[in-house]
Amino acid sequence: MSEDKQKLINDAVEKALSGDADAVNNIEDRVTRAKAKAALVKAKREQPKKEDSNDDASKSDEKEQPLSDNTVQKVSASLIAKFPKSLDGEQNSDWIQLKPESWFEIAKWLKDNPDFYFDSLQCNTGFDLGEGLLESRYNLHSMKHLHSIEIRIKVSVEKPDIPSVESIWRVADWFERETYDMFGINFIGHSDLRRILLPEDWEGWPLRKDYEEQETYHGIVVPKVKEGWE
Amino acid sequence: MGVVHGQEMVLNIGPQHPATHGVLRLQVKTDGEVISEITPYLGYLHRCFEKHCENVSYEQVIPFTDRCDYLASMTMNFGYVVAMEQLMDIKVNDRVQYIRVIMAELQRIASHLLATGVFGLDLGAFTPFLHMLRDRERIIDLFEMTCGARLLYNYMWVGGLSHDLPKGFVEETLRFLDYFEPKVDEFENLLGHNKIFVERTADIGIMPAEVAINYGVTGPNLRASGIKWDLRKDDPYSVYDRLDFEVPIGLGVKGTVGDSWDRFYVRLQEIRQSINIVRQAIDKLPKDGDVHQSMPKKIRPPKGSIYSRTESPRGDLGYYIESDGSDTPYRLKMRSPAFTALGVLNEIAGGWLMSDVLAILGSLDIVLGEIDR
Amino acid sequence: MTVDYIFDFLTSLLDGLIGSDYLLLLAMLIPCLAIFGFITVYALVVIYAELKVSSFIQDKVGPMGQGVGLHAGKWGLLQPVADALKLLLKEDIIPSSADKPLFILAPFMIFIGAFISFVAIPFGDSIIVADLNIGLFYILGVGSIAVLSLILAGWASNNKWSLYGGMRSAAQIVSYEIPAGLSLIVVIMLAGTLNMQDIITYQAGGLFSWIIFDNPFMPVAFVVYFISAIAETNRTPFDLPESESELVAGFATEYSGMRYAFFFLSEYANMFVVSAVAAAGFLGGWHSPIVGIMDSSAWGVFWMISKTGFLIFVMIWLRWTLPRLRVDQLMNVCWKVFLPLALINIFGVAIWTVVFNS
Repeated sequence: MSEDKQKLINDAVEKALSGDADAVNNIEDRVTRAKAKAALVKAKREQPKKEDSNDDASKSDEKEQPLSDNTVQKVSASLIAKFPKSLDGEQNSDWIQLKPESWFEIAKWLKDNPDFYFDSLQCNTGFDLGEGLLESRYNLHSMKHLHSIEIRIKVSVEKPDIPSVESIWRVADWFERETYDMFGINFIGHSDLRRILLPEDWEGWPLRKDYEEQETYHGIVVPKVKEGWE
Repeated sequence: MGVVHGQEMVLNIGPQHPATHGVLRLQVKTDGEVISEITPYLGYLHRCFEKHCENVSYEQVIPFTDRCDYLASMTMNFGYVVAMEQLMDIKVNDRVQYIRVIMAELQRIASHLLATGVFGLDLGAFTPFLHMLRDRERIIDLFEMTCGARLLYNYMWVGGLSHDLPKGFVEETLRFLDYFEPKVDEFENLLGHNKIFVERTADIGIMPAEVAINYGVTGPNLRASGIKWDLRKDDPYSVYDRLDFEVPIGLGVKGTVGDSWDRFYVRLQEIRQSINIVRQAIDKLPKDGDVHQSMPKKIRPPKGSIYSRTESPRGDLGYYIESDGSDTPYRLKMRSPAFTALGVLNEIAGGWLMSDVLAILGSLDIVLGEIDR
Repeated sequence: MTVDYIFDFLTSLLDGLIGSDYLLLLAMLIPCLAIFGFITVYALVVIYAELKVSSFIQDKVGPMGQGVGLHAGKWGLLQPVADALKLLLKEDIIPSSADKPLFILAPFMIFIGAFISFVAIPFGDSIIVADLNIGLFYILGVGSIAVLSLILAGWASNNKWSLYGGMRSAAQIVSYEIPAGLSLIVVIMLAGTLNMQDIITYQAGGLFSWIIFDNPFMPVAFVVYFISAIAETNRTPFDLPESESELVAGFATEYSGMRYAFFFLSEYANMFVVSAVAAAGFLGGWHSPIVGIMDSSAWGVFWMISKTGFLIFVMIWLRWTLPRLRVDQLMNVCWKVFLPLALINIFGVAIWTVVFNS
């Protein structure tokens, strides 16, 4: 790669980081553009880490300054301060990736904190990410501040344990039962974790990608050849 | 007055029971007429909606959404296409948007008519139910005129509509609205101010606002608890921000805020608002515009996920769609408003008499197709 | 046209041919068959009326047909016949865990209760099966058999819904017997007799001689009686024992076919009985509202039937207009409203009679 191409990429990335989104897209050469995008992602990834390091210093003036428009960034910034090490992997502006361990405390805090006041759990979605990973996604919403965030918690198939937030948002009772029903994610501390949509004696977790229908159900053979009716 | 406690009896209401609005089983513990605990058992109508969606292409999902809430298929389609258009960043023209709003609001009227009518039926009032069905029939005729179907429409498509409005639709709709508007007052008098009806519903099954929010109850049930929360106003999608309408809330006219009567009355007032919206939308409906204009040749959304909410007649209808860049959704989750509304039943109906429990269940307006999916 | 009259008539006709004991039996059998025929025809008519009146109230056409093929005849006139046939031809199911003898007994008992009430109902000035001197008391008494059979039906079905229905009907009918009975006491006080024919004779002399217009307390007594009577017959708004949206079908949940038809039939028969008592006790029975006009014996039957028919129409009208009461509201209305009203009426009428009529 020639030096001026490298320079072009660097320039474009800098511009993009400072807000000019088209700078990268305007690069004509396709290969160079792709490389520039990759560099941009890398640079963006490094940025929050920088914030991490000087977070203690900037925390005090966060309260005075109007926080950024993006609720997710606002929440994750406060989360880092309040619950260090609770975040899982890289952060982005669309959702917050949490570790399962302290989810219950975080949820309680998210609901009670007057700045956020997420009093409504909108949706809980289970996910099979493949590669032995399951994920539970929560869409939170505040009826008071009218803002919403998405929280994702990743667990392994071998130990799919996530703390239940049933006692914080009562709606999570049935949402978690449904996610348990479909994905087998074990919500620890749930008062009544039973299957909800499927019969109690159903085998397997149907919405996992590696799900195999059971051979028979109460003596009825489950047809596997679906020609003609699907 | 002293309360005599006897032996508790476990009673199964449903799955085949006239008051469960479908195939729902409520296992209740009763002490005489008093019901102390309600445990709903769901899943009798589970049709693997989410699993199916992972195996069909994005446009083939739309007929499945019809079959979830079969009493408000238009709004189910609407929610899905709004989510897909957000995910794919498609802008559709105004004609499509206004037609969608007209359809969604007519559907809301139809759905609320059935909801209030069946609520009356649960209390033993047979006649208002048939009057409401008579008028719902005319809305269904309008839908049939538009897309040929009477219950499951598959009308709204990603980026457009399956058909443009037929000739004479606007006139016919206006004629219907002129006929229907006074009928709403009639329904209010017939049912809402009937002494026995008020006795049976006022102060019964009170749902305080905090309980409603905590249980994720949305839509008319939440508004009846006194919270002005309507996605059409608070998080406008489509062209709702260009339309002028009010969000009715429960005021506790006959009893306490959030009682069964309020839930009934909010629905009735929403019918009035919907009439208003349809009229405005017809006024603003652009004469030209191709309803197939923005429809993508191949629906293949970019990698990513979206959680999109719309206001169905039963509340916040959410679609969580995760795309992996292929032709089929990687995961599609429907957040059903009736699902959460049923979840609150034990909280607000425990401890009431058997007749009240079934009245409260009727006032929540659940549709089992949507709960079980 | 009492049993004695028929006996005399038969004796004059068949004197010496058949023994007088057999003649008496025959004389009893004839009115029985007549009542049975009357109830059947009346049930068909009133079912048709219920269908058509409800259709009118609900803005639909109701049963109708072109009189061709399997349509229900002209204006749907054959619809009740078809309904009856359907019920007759249905499979008769007795649940395996039901108490068989009681289960079979219950529908017959309720029908017998309704059936023998007809004995003391005056259809005209001489048309009554048995002109008992305790006629009104007799009707109230045998009318109470209904509650026994409803409890039996509820218990014998071995079904929780039926049990609920049976318990509700027991509580309801027993409670409403009291205001109904107390309201009729006022009638007895005025007429001074329990004999149905004498009560009607007391009301001779046009519209304003009717007991309902006798004094200011009587309209109240009439309304209390009529509403209590609706409650006794388990009609909406008091149809709690069989409230379909709560208890599936209440005491009748497990019944099918002919046995169910008996419950159905006796509900309509009871409607007639209570309406006829109201017509005879308050509305002048077989008297014409205007003296001298249409005031013969034959017209008497017309007046009696049309007054009763009007009250039945009101019952149908109420059924298709009102929602259902809740079980505690039902009891509240009975014990806290109707019972005091009925008692006040008794004292009021007593004082009124002493002050004005003596």
